Amino acid sequence: MWLQVKLAWRNVLRNTRRTIIAAIAIGVGLASMIFVDALTIGMEHNMIHSATASYMGHAQVHNKQFTDTREAASTINGLDTLLQQLRNDSLVKYASPRILGQGMISSPANMSAVQMIGVDPTVERYVSHIDDALVEGGYFADTAGRAVIIGSKLAERLEVELGDRVVMTMAEATSGNLSQQMLRVRGIYHFNSTELDQGMAFVRIDRARQLLALPDQAHEIALVFNKEGLGRKTKHPFYDRYSYDGNLVEGWSEILPQLEAALQMSQFSTYIVGLVLFAVVSLGIINTLFMSLHERMFEFGVMRAVGTQPIGMARLILLEAAALALISVLLGVILGWLVTSIVAQHGIDYSGIEFAGATFREPLYPVLQTDQFIRFPVMVFLFTLIVAVYPAWSAAKLNPADAMRKSM
Amino acid sequence: MTESQQGAVIKTQGVTKEYADNGVPVKAVRGIDLTIDRGEFTAIVGPSGSGKTTFLNIISGLDNPSGGKVYLAGRDLSQMSGSELSNYRRDHIGFIFQAYNLIPVLTVQENVEYIMLLQGIERDERRERVQQVLEQLGLGKMISRRPPQLSGGQQQRVAVARAIVSRPDLVLADEPTANLDSETAEDLIGLMRQLNEQDGTTFVFSTHDDRVIRHARRTVVLKDGKIKSDEIR
Repeated sequence: MWLQVKLAWRNVLRNTRRTIIAAIAIGVGLASMIFVDALTIGMEHNMIHSATASYMGHAQVHNKQFTDTREAASTINGLDTLLQQLRNDSLVKYASPRILGQGMISSPANMSAVQMIGVDPTVERYVSHIDDALVEGGYFADTAGRAVIIGSKLAERLEVELGDRVVMTMAEATSGNLSQQMLRVRGIYHFNSTELDQGMAFVRIDRARQLLALPDQAHEIALVFNKEGLGRKTKHPFYDRYSYDGNLVEGWSEILPQLEAALQMSQFSTYIVGLVLFAVVSLGIINTLFMSLHERMFEFGVMRAVGTQPIGMARLILLEAAALALISVLLGVILGWLVTSIVAQHGIDYSGIEFAGATFREPLYPVLQTDQFIRFPVMVFLFTLIVAVYPAWSAAKLNPADAMRKSM
Repeated sequence: MTESQQGAVIKTQGVTKEYADNGVPVKAVRGIDLTIDRGEFTAIVGPSGSGKTTFLNIISGLDNPSGGKVYLAGRDLSQMSGSELSNYRRDHIGFIFQAYNLIPVLTVQENVEYIMLLQGIERDERRERVQQVLEQLGLGKMISRRPPQLSGGQQQRVAVARAIVSRPDLVLADEPTANLDSETAEDLIGLMRQLNEQDGTTFVFSTHDDRVIRHARRTVVLKDGKIKSDEIR
């Protein structure tokens, strides 16, 4: 066996140029798989982060009826107790109550339909990143509690600037009477998302409660978990624990099913890319091994003639494939690490592009994981051996007399 | 089994071989009856296409006859499976081919000990026998060289060493001198003859080179796949 290992290794190094070309082909395939996987993980992180950190949070609590009908009167039941419980839960980092209402915002120049979001600025700043997205003004920088923070596109439409007055008109939740509040623009944000920049206006929660006549109520509690992943694990007992008394807790993957679908699609695309790469790599391996086999036909004939068993011939080809795979995997791992690391340093700038309800706010950074340097190389190594079974079987089937005759 | 079969290394009875060459049926061997006893030094002679190589392939179990029987050391080759034939060749036959005999990536020592490795002989014994045979053939100092670093004659000597090191019943050589100059060719045949006389190794070789033929003690001439003459000197 040892001699066969030695023989296989030397055979692989026999035609250095061919081995290097084959190893580069396989290595580039492996490196691509590592890179694509790292990029997919980076993209997932980016998309999830962009979707959840801008405004949504990792999960949200609503009155079940509000989820179905969006009726203003359907507020969260037992808000104070629930909020207290959530804030005491070790899984929850922040819990921010919100009032949501559909209404009209008007300036002397124009008016627009808007979703008003009433927030508690002290906790909301840790949940949504409105303060980070501010391009003008400050984060509820007023003392009178009449601040409104609007998006850049809405400001454009209303033709307002910082300090200008606007009027918010809402229908009260229970009576349906119109209610108005004069507000002053104290901040303008830009998320580069049409939905956020044009359709939303943030006010203090007390002001929003006044407008909708919903004292001490909230429509929504936005949650940020200590572990981001919990927002996707909607089967986690956490969701059942707080879905009581007519309330419903939903993770981001349920709130934004299109994002979840997009992520699954991107994972599926990764598998397809992997399969295509494997197919290309396998053809390269088969070609290399068959070329090597045909080139040494007489030699194989002699080996069979002097008593090497068919299984010994097959083993030799498999060992050669293993040696080739080893060189290729080493090359692929180095190349994959190098390319991914370089790209991870600088990132790929997709910021501003909206995809599946999420807007990339930061460049894409491929994420290198130890797993990629174990799983993919092992897969490529095993795959190389599996692909080599065909040439190995051909070598085992060689009739020594035919092999020597063909090569003469 | 008859007495003559027991004494014979090879016995063929009505061996024929037909194959298709680009769809054209070719009768390469047309009924050969031949017995070769232990210790013989026999040349199978004939022009190109006379069936020498095909006959050697058949008697060594490398190729199956279309008809007839081949007995090797008393055993009917047609009764053996592919695996048994491999083992039989490994343990009972030494091969020398006309060229590209050796595995180029292995050293002289590794090439010579290859068959013993297949036989499962212990390392110390292998090394001892390799050293002994290479010394005997004047290759003692070339043990670590690889075939491309040797001349054609030296490579064939290594092939002889590999063929005899496992002490086979029979050494088959298919035109062993075909790629050698006349001096080296005579030298190689002289060496084979010497091994035959000293150790009693049975040699059967094919050739069409007159200078080589004159060293043979028995000459079997083939023509069109049949024995034309069989002379013992």
